[in-house]
Amino acid sequence: MAVAKVQTKSNVLTDLDLNRPLLEVEDLRVEFHTRDGVAKAVNGASFSVERGETLAIVGESGCGKSVTSQAIMGILETPPARIAEGRVLFHGIDLLKLPKDTRRRTRANHVAMVFQDALSALNPVWTVGYQLAELFRQHRGMSKKDAMARSLELLDLVKIPAAKQRILEYPHQFSGGMRQRVMIAMALALDPDLLIADEPTTALDVTVQAQIMRLLKDIQVERHMGLILITHDLGVVADVADKISVMYAGRIVEQAEVHEIFARPAHPYTKALLKSIPRLDTKGQRLEIIKGLPPALTNIPPGCAFAPRCTYAQDVCRSQVPPLSTVAADRASACHFSSEVIQDV
Amino acid sequence: MGRYIIRRLLQAVLTLFLALFLLHYLTTLSIQINGNPAYAFFGAQITPTPAQLQTVSELYHTDHPCLTQPGNPCFGNFFDTMKRYAEGDFGKDLRFRPVTELVAERVPNTLRIFAVSTTVWALAGIGLGMVAAMRREKFMDYFIRLGTIVFGAVPIFLVVLGLKYVAGVWFGGWLRENLGEENALSIIFLPSFDDQHPWLTILVPGVALSVIGAAGIARLMRTSMLENLRADFVRTAKAKGLKPGRVMLAHTLRNSLIPVITLIGLSFGGALGGAVITEGLWNVRGVGQLVFNAVRQNDTPIVIAVVTMLVITFLLFSLLVDLLYAVLDPRIRYE
Repeated sequence: MAVAKVQTKSNVLTDLDLNRPLLEVEDLRVEFHTRDGVAKAVNGASFSVERGETLAIVGESGCGKSVTSQAIMGILETPPARIAEGRVLFHGIDLLKLPKDTRRRTRANHVAMVFQDALSALNPVWTVGYQLAELFRQHRGMSKKDAMARSLELLDLVKIPAAKQRILEYPHQFSGGMRQRVMIAMALALDPDLLIADEPTTALDVTVQAQIMRLLKDIQVERHMGLILITHDLGVVADVADKISVMYAGRIVEQAEVHEIFARPAHPYTKALLKSIPRLDTKGQRLEIIKGLPPALTNIPPGCAFAPRCTYAQDVCRSQVPPLSTVAADRASACHFSSEVIQDV
Repeated sequence: MGRYIIRRLLQAVLTLFLALFLLHYLTTLSIQINGNPAYAFFGAQITPTPAQLQTVSELYHTDHPCLTQPGNPCFGNFFDTMKRYAEGDFGKDLRFRPVTELVAERVPNTLRIFAVSTTVWALAGIGLGMVAAMRREKFMDYFIRLGTIVFGAVPIFLVVLGLKYVAGVWFGGWLRENLGEENALSIIFLPSFDDQHPWLTILVPGVALSVIGAAGIARLMRTSMLENLRADFVRTAKAKGLKPGRVMLAHTLRNSLIPVITLIGLSFGGALGGAVITEGLWNVRGVGQLVFNAVRQNDTPIVIAVVTMLVITFLLFSLLVDLLYAVLDPRIRYE
């Protein structure tokens, strides 16, 4: 089925190896050259996503998850950013090695992105319809009329009521949830294979959050897309994600199926994150917090970056970086004491 | 949008009325304090008889008794004046020629100088600002910023005089010696306006006049571009796989022009004032020169009439700018 879909689309990339995963990120390293020195935003992140699969990348602000997604998209400002190492394989083709113009055309056609705050992510001076139609006009060379007709279909797809009138309105005339639907419609326009959603619900009301998550999930299942959800909120992804990668200081520290993570975290950081989610059954008790702050990216300590805040830390943690290694079937953790953490409920 | 236009039109009418009244009141006050300007008609040597003075006063509408009572706003006079303006009668100069005729024959040259200078300052200002923003913290950026500070700080008459000497006398003289008097380049760099070649000889003073606007616009454009280059919607445009040129034009330049449009409106006012000086110094037979000479010859009727026309022009232009603003920025249309 996936094969047929790829062939019917007007594709930018040919020679895709469909036996390989949709996206494999291998040892990605991104640096920012700033006045205070080199900030290592991503330090060897590796993960993969299959078609029809949802991967959630979870971590605190500044842990490198947004930079990772922008590196995959190829929209980092270089300079100051620099992709120091790594590969981003799309069905086996390294996106980082593509010629500039081909790379540009992979965006929206193969990999699309939904941003956090749709009010600032949409251009205030163009109508919603214009911004949608622009994709068809620029990438497909459609006439204005055809492009608008396609845009209208998209607004219907993301369930915007009275789409026919609203298509001529400007972003500021939409509510937060409706704007995020427009963003999603825009990302889906050219039928991408992979959708990256960077904190898609953070700027929204809790009730709207669930609707948007549901919408994303439904469309993903229907189109058999790969979906990467970037979030700082484990609770939001619990029922939509298949796999979770936990990120800390630019590294993936734990990777597992969603239920495994919630049931038996294998990294002290994941464990601490889970404890800091407010729960109904612990009402009245003081919420646990993770002491201290993440390290400055210009000065990541040697050894495990989480060691200064970790209750399991020993001397070895302060000198040796723990590799991301398999701790059980389909799960990996970057901790010297992962077997202890996993048993210690 | 319709309601915004109506509101803005009503505002414009009110502003125009207030501006014209202020002008009327200042003139009235000046007559009440300085005496009847009809004396200027006779010159310093002649003392007119009361009958002669009365006749001249009637011609220039300075015969109303309220003009001898300092502080009296002379509302009656104001409405008479408005009525004459509405009929297209802007009075006569001291040599008894209708001011409208004097202005009409000079308007083409003024339009020429404005066409040249507006094109230059809009294009140069926006272009230089864009380049500076895109080459941020590089040599071109510093160079352009230095240039805008220098030209923004120098008064317009110095720029005009400097250009007159450098481009008109020094460089122009060299051209005329080497290429001959009739060469187009020699004519362009003539140190003053020539009625025979109204377009060619207007280029250099037009550029001089444009310096006022261009410096400010370049600086504002740079800031505005830098702000928008960092905007989230520019990142979205890149994520949409649009060509770099498209990202720049449709998603950065267009947004950056919004504040610049406001400044263009203000610069136009500055340019109207600058045109008086530039036309005066370059001998351009335009409306500005008319005022320039009228001020030197104490020809009050011309000064007042032309200033009134300039006020009306400026208000119309502001109206146009505000409407353009609403077209460029949909958020401005207060519904």
